[in-house]
Amino acid sequence: VTQFVQATVYGLLEGGLLALVAVGFSLVWGVMNIVNLAQGSFVVVGAYIAWKLNTEAGLDPYLGGLVAAVALFGAGYAVQRLLINQVVNAPIWMTLLLTFGLDLVIVNLLILLFTADFRAINTSWASDSLGIGDVRVPYGRLAGFALAVVMTVGLVLFMARTRIGLAIRSTGMDRAAARLMGMNVRHVYAFTFGIAAAMAGMAGAILGTINTFSPSAAAGYTLQSFVIAVLGGLGNMWGALAGGLVLGLVQSWGGQYLSGTMVNAIAFAVLVLVLIVRPSGLIGRPYYEARAEA
Amino acid sequence: VSKRWLPWAGAALGLLVLALAPTYLLLESEQRTLGSVFMFVVLAQGWNMIGGFTGYPSFGNAVFFGLGGYTTAVLMAKAGANFWVTVPAAAAVGAGFAVLMGIPILRLRGHYFAVATLGVAEGMREGVINLPGLTGGNKGMTIPAVGAEATTSYPGNTGFYFYFLGLAVIATLAVWGVAHSRFGYALRAISQDEDAAAAAGINTTRAKIAAFAVTGVLTSLAGALFAFQQVTIYPTRMFAVDITVLAVVMAVLGGSGTVFGPVVGAVSLQYLSEWLRNNLTDYHTFVFGGIIVIAVMILPMGIVNFTRDAWRERRFGLLDSVRAYRL
Repeated sequence: VTQFVQATVYGLLEGGLLALVAVGFSLVWGVMNIVNLAQGSFVVVGAYIAWKLNTEAGLDPYLGGLVAAVALFGAGYAVQRLLINQVVNAPIWMTLLLTFGLDLVIVNLLILLFTADFRAINTSWASDSLGIGDVRVPYGRLAGFALAVVMTVGLVLFMARTRIGLAIRSTGMDRAAARLMGMNVRHVYAFTFGIAAAMAGMAGAILGTINTFSPSAAAGYTLQSFVIAVLGGLGNMWGALAGGLVLGLVQSWGGQYLSGTMVNAIAFAVLVLVLIVRPSGLIGRPYYEARAEA
Repeated sequence: VSKRWLPWAGAALGLLVLALAPTYLLLESEQRTLGSVFMFVVLAQGWNMIGGFTGYPSFGNAVFFGLGGYTTAVLMAKAGANFWVTVPAAAAVGAGFAVLMGIPILRLRGHYFAVATLGVAEGMREGVINLPGLTGGNKGMTIPAVGAEATTSYPGNTGFYFYFLGLAVIATLAVWGVAHSRFGYALRAISQDEDAAAAAGINTTRAKIAAFAVTGVLTSLAGALFAFQQVTIYPTRMFAVDITVLAVVMAVLGGSGTVFGPVVGAVSLQYLSEWLRNNLTDYHTFVFGGIIVIAVMILPMGIVNFTRDAWRERRFGLLDSVRAYRL
């Protein structure tokens, strides 16, 4: 039983971080109809920034994560404004190819800069843990989880309560109408992509303190984002949070009782099944139902 | 005077040169390179059927490639079958799986379809990894190619050059045939507006599944040949996302939904990729990614379409091409 509870705790804690990776992915997909295959590479970039600042300047990885988030917001804004906006009206596989190309560029640049070796961000407190009975809850994972949930909820509030959040939502619902209302859609798109990249960067910094990472980890995070975004419903941020927790649990339980790669097979099977049976996601209705092209 | 015979004469002449080239022109290594170019022509044409003509962007074509390869490998290694017996078996598996998978998944549109196909391909890879009794799992499996256990003598680089060339010609002719048939018009109609196509009396479900089956057959045949060529195959290689994505990149940059676009795309990109690999060993993938990005930005409608428009209008509108799809 202890083992089961332990796996559940770890799964939930990890799931919160996966949700932070996927929430931006889901937002970009829901608002702009763009599947960002480079999402995982943003995560890894965030991890490397935090790692570099930690080893060179001794900066706390969470503060480093903040730096990473700001840097990735800028980079994400520029990528959307300069590159993706130029082909946004092309058939959808063009944006898939574009972000795939970006992913190749970023991952291989990281390999050139930092080699393909596995890294980890060491902190003084990450290995300490809280004991509840026989179940261990490491502080590092707990703090990372808390931060991830706070940021995800923060994004929900941001989208619900601010003018720019409203602009993003309305652009996602009907781009032509948003333009007619005087919104600068190019800026809104770029801003949305920037937010997604920033969340991924922060998630990367936190993940770097609890897992090892290397440039090749990027693909895994992208695939997990797929599963979570589809589970939760596109553009639905509560859905992304729930989807992240579900995926974290499934992976953790699966890791306990099944051989390593069988877990992935199950994750993909779930993904395809959900798509076939209920493409709008498991939770509620899709955030953005109407989609008019302009 | 009609000059419609000109392209055919050109194609025939080109094929004649390609047929004689191994004997008179090409080194073994060059034949190997060209063999892989032809293989990607097949894969790009396979994607062209479902993605280009029908407008359903599959991102999981590697599932057919892998299934075809493993059908051949398992039959040759476990059942001692002759390679040429396994080829139709691989095609049948490709077609059958395309139909099975297509019935539920072709109901999804756009990104949902793309993600579902990707999920199937990734899931299939994990499944193959977890069947070590049949497939050797992660350690891979080896086809008996030499010695007493070999069921078929190994064709070598020149042999595979001709097999891949033949398959590329068959694939291109198949796409040409579809493009000029009632079936091809049905697919294009689906790609433009599926509801309107259905209203016009097209059985869209049947047409989509048939197109996907053609994709499955072409791609699994390429996989069967590739598996025999490699002798030892691994799930991570046979079901690699790269296989799918390269096919998409080639079809799209050549010109998706055209007959010769995928040929142009496969030849130019595969050569470029080989050249980068040989000359920029350490950062060829980095440069290749950059080239994909730039190509998508500059030629979003593909080389063939761009050239045709430039020819018809007597105008080299590169800037218009860049601006064609911007927000």
